[in-house]
Amino acid sequence: MDASELPCIAHLRNGKGATLALAEAGDGALLLKFYRSMPEEDRLALTDDVTTADWLDRFLAKLGSGEAISVVGKIGGEIRGEATLHRTLHGWSRHVGELRLNVDRAARGQGLGLELARHIVKIAIDRGIDKLVAHMVDSQMAAKRTFEKLGFHKEAELPGHVTDIHGKRLDLLIYANDVSHVWAAMESLLGDFRPDRATR
Amino acid sequence: MTRTEIRVGGLGGQGIILCGSIIGKAASIYAGKHAAMIQAFGPEARGSACSAQVIVSDEAIGYPYVRRPDILVLMSQDACTQFAPQLKPDGLVLFEEELVQTAGLLPPAARSLGIPATRFAEEIGRRLVLNIVMVGFFAGATGILPHEAVEKAVLDSVPKGTESLNLRALGRGYDFGRALLA
Repeated sequence: MDASELPCIAHLRNGKGATLALAEAGDGALLLKFYRSMPEEDRLALTDDVTTADWLDRFLAKLGSGEAISVVGKIGGEIRGEATLHRTLHGWSRHVGELRLNVDRAARGQGLGLELARHIVKIAIDRGIDKLVAHMVDSQMAAKRTFEKLGFHKEAELPGHVTDIHGKRLDLLIYANDVSHVWAAMESLLGDFRPDRATR
Repeated sequence: MTRTEIRVGGLGGQGIILCGSIIGKAASIYAGKHAAMIQAFGPEARGSACSAQVIVSDEAIGYPYVRRPDILVLMSQDACTQFAPQLKPDGLVLFEEELVQTAGLLPPAARSLGIPATRFAEEIGRRLVLNIVMVGFFAGATGILPHEAVEKAVLDSVPKGTESLNLRALGRGYDFGRALLA
């Protein structure tokens, strides 16, 4: 999935269409509106307090630096879902990307989350990421199902690792997907290429 | 009759043969020309000397070997040392400038153009696509093959899931080559 393939229309189960596009600085106000409209129970275990202007400033700065790539899903001009790839550009984890996914309650169950996740996974692979991880707590059943559909599996569980916004401790589940096999095929091709044995 | 003799040289694991194959495929399948390729590599799959000979012609090719290359595409110093003496006096050398030094090795009338292809490939996300950057550089700097034909040949040659990044690598090399000619 090249960024140039966005925006596109995702066809949802209810027959409506959602416009998927890369988030830009101009989406800041809509993003903040999206997160501020999210009920508190949906924000219990998010990594950041996504309702503050400070968070938005940091987020937009990361979009600018390439440390974050975000795809937003819009219905009727409003953001109804957002998927982000967070990555470090340097250091020993530069091959790892963390995915975060949030969908508006009213838009859930229509396939928007899966479409957003599918696009951000393709973008991550396209950016050379080898391993994708997604953090969630046990109660986030829909998120678990979505990532499992995309090949993620539970790699670790850290007891009491998350403190929600009420101060309650929750177990952190780390879901992971090793996508390096995509590039292993390319590496194999370069190492011992014979046109007469090419598969494509 | 226009016959262009090309030699691609480097090390096993750099994608030398794939580079030559894509050039030949672009010419013969997608640009309506004729092409022939001969490959040669050492006994080891990686790290040994490796080269591809590619002929691109408007007419049928009777003799598939490269005698005096019009164009060298070089990705290792050993390949430069070995193949530079064979270059035609007014030939063109396209080289990875962080891996190859051409000073004192080329015929006086030869032209040489360097590209930081490894750095470009790393910036794009994968060092592996160095050879695709070089394919793009070849297409952009020589103009022998239409960009569209090379793009189709790349898409036809690389593994599923890697197409997009490979196309970015191709575009980066192509744009760099065009800019050098401007």
